[in-house]
Amino acid sequence: MIEAKQYDFDAIVVGSGISGGWAAKELTEKGLKVLVLERGKPLQAGSGYLGEHAPNWKFPYQGKKPRELYAEDYPVQSKVTHSFNEGTRQFWNNDKQNPYAMDEGKPFMWARADVVGGRSLIWGRQTYRFSEMDFKANEIDGHGIPWPVGYEDIAPWYSYVEKFVGINGKKEGLPQLPDSEFQKPMPWFALEETINERLKKKAPDVTLTNGRVAILTEDLPGRSACHYCGPCARGCSTGSYFSSQSSTLPAAQATGNLTLRANSVVERLEYDKESGKISRVHVIDAMTKERMSFSAKIFFLCASTVGSTQILLNSASEDFPNGLANSSGTLGHYLMDHTLGLSGAGVFLDNMDSYYHGNRPTGLYIPRFRNLDGQDEDADFVRGYGYQTATLRVDWQTGMNNKGFGASLKDSLRKPGPWIFALAGFTECLPNESNRMYLSKDKVDRYGIPQVVFDFEWGENEVNLRRDAKIQADRLLKAAGAVFSLLGNDDMSMPGEGIHEMGTARMGADPAESVLNAHNQSHDVPNLFITDGSFMTSASCVNPSLTYMAFTARACDYAAKQVAQGVL
Amino acid sequence: MNRREFLQCTAILISGVSASQLGFTLSVEQTTYLANAPDYNTTPVDYFTPAQRKIVAAMAETIIPRTDTPGAIDAGVPQYIELMVANWLNEGELAIFSAGLADIETRIPQEYGTSFDQLSAEQQLEILEALEDEASDSEWYEFGNTLREFISEAPFICQIKELTIWGFFTSEEGASQVLRYDPMPMYFNGDIPLDKNDSTWSSPL
Repeated sequence: MIEAKQYDFDAIVVGSGISGGWAAKELTEKGLKVLVLERGKPLQAGSGYLGEHAPNWKFPYQGKKPRELYAEDYPVQSKVTHSFNEGTRQFWNNDKQNPYAMDEGKPFMWARADVVGGRSLIWGRQTYRFSEMDFKANEIDGHGIPWPVGYEDIAPWYSYVEKFVGINGKKEGLPQLPDSEFQKPMPWFALEETINERLKKKAPDVTLTNGRVAILTEDLPGRSACHYCGPCARGCSTGSYFSSQSSTLPAAQATGNLTLRANSVVERLEYDKESGKISRVHVIDAMTKERMSFSAKIFFLCASTVGSTQILLNSASEDFPNGLANSSGTLGHYLMDHTLGLSGAGVFLDNMDSYYHGNRPTGLYIPRFRNLDGQDEDADFVRGYGYQTATLRVDWQTGMNNKGFGASLKDSLRKPGPWIFALAGFTECLPNESNRMYLSKDKVDRYGIPQVVFDFEWGENEVNLRRDAKIQADRLLKAAGAVFSLLGNDDMSMPGEGIHEMGTARMGADPAESVLNAHNQSHDVPNLFITDGSFMTSASCVNPSLTYMAFTARACDYAAKQVAQGVL
Repeated sequence: MNRREFLQCTAILISGVSASQLGFTLSVEQTTYLANAPDYNTTPVDYFTPAQRKIVAAMAETIIPRTDTPGAIDAGVPQYIELMVANWLNEGELAIFSAGLADIETRIPQEYGTSFDQLSAEQQLEILEALEDEASDSEWYEFGNTLREFISEAPFICQIKELTIWGFFTSEEGASQVLRYDPMPMYFNGDIPLDKNDSTWSSPL
């Protein structure tokens, strides 16, 4: 008996963040009927951004943190001090409602969003291409397995997504940091020009360039150039920064092929022995706890590195006792994050009579300059790091603890102090089998799904990289003309604090040692694709979101062709 | 969208009053915008006694007085302090604050013959300076401490200074009449002239 199989959808995408938004856009534009499942709350672009443009005097406690609430309900998320506050809290996960098993001995910080749009609403918006050097690193120094994809394979996809995302930056022609398709760069502070002149003379081995950010300096259809209000993470109703809310989800919606279901917690994927494919996704409604399931031809996991791997581990079956698509045994392993933290900050007395207009939503960037042409002689580490920089003029917040009272205190607090130029090193993390996540045997969440547990420690290479980033920051701040500089300490950031979780379902050519092939497709289960950070075979030192976007678009192109050909 | 359109949108978001004057009706959804909330320092609170309220206002005004620009009282700082003391300080911090305020309430009339708020500006300043001298070993005064959490052990004088300064520069008056406030800068220029007498921008938190 031959019967045409009926599916609820052509494709199901789990997650609506950076990767899920791209999967939704690409697949719907190729004519597939797509269901996007998002575990977080519904959120309308624009009208849902409740903290946007609120002045300080409207904030509860005028911006002092609600300490009890944060300690009780947001002990993890509130550690993301650069973007968690009362203007953004609505986007974040409630740690009390949705906990994971935190081992105090080996802490791992899992920063999560809990709304449609995911972390694309609250990300740092830094967008950098991986270089040929990054894709070759594992092969050359033997850490991890070789990438099955080269720079030349992904370069056209970088260009493809960049034109839609809208990235501003400056072309530099550096092999270690290929240029993107750029909109015009944001201007610099006078002090940054001064520092750049000095670095050119005294530290010619480094390049100071614009932070490359997914923020418009030129209008795109339906999105306006940045208005420089400052705190992007509260949401941007003009769509000036790229989020799936501002860009990919509306594009997917416009095709008429998108069904988006919020409050949809994916419990597991069901494997069908007969076809050798995933047949259904099982979902629990976060509000009603109602259970339901949906079928489709293909499944894209874009639920974030940890989220996607949690689903696969929880989808174990007779055929895959250690987790779905895990015949290699590598699922959950080779977890990576970038270390971050202040490497050094300098006080500058140059350009004191120069000031600024507008809040530029990025600093500058110093691309990797270590181990570029083979191994540097003085380096006790492989690979490297880049610096994100911050330039700021000291204001009343820094002078608040001065002695004194009255008109003179008021006058000194209202006026600008010296300039600060700070360097924050983001260092590469090596893929290491012992760094992993797994499912708790005894702790479950409120849906009965086993909680995630982390087992992660920085290795010697990361420690040495971080130390070097501090030593070099000292050199660079002196070369830049700092009158005084403060160096960061040797403490490592808490694993996860970089919010660049990568790995756990890495891609590779050999099915025996990787979960995914070169098309982000499971070696074991052909209708399963994973395109969030979990596919990453190595970490580079650059912010990874752009790479997720490019690989997602490429995987969608491949998957849609397979569907069209009747293979999937 | 140009600057004028932006400002119109912002005006609607920021000010319920101007929106209703313009004939707009705000939806329930819109009224939950933080930008449309009442100013925090107008939240009702009834924690201090009338006498304490006068003392706290006088102390705040001594720290940040009205000059040719608004001072602490103009900026609603006394109300802000009362709100923070009533709703934000933890138990230990509250004990320090209450003891500090009680000391001013009882000791000053004994030493000066009248309550703190009735004294001359010079006498008020002298009293705060004496408190600061006594507290000068506090961690609160350490270099670079200001981006940290609120220091729970900070003595009363540091508490009231921090709440006054924070409450002042994050208020509408402090931010827009003493500092400079522009919610919609529209462009970035990293090199504009700074006059010796210019204030910093009020930065969004």
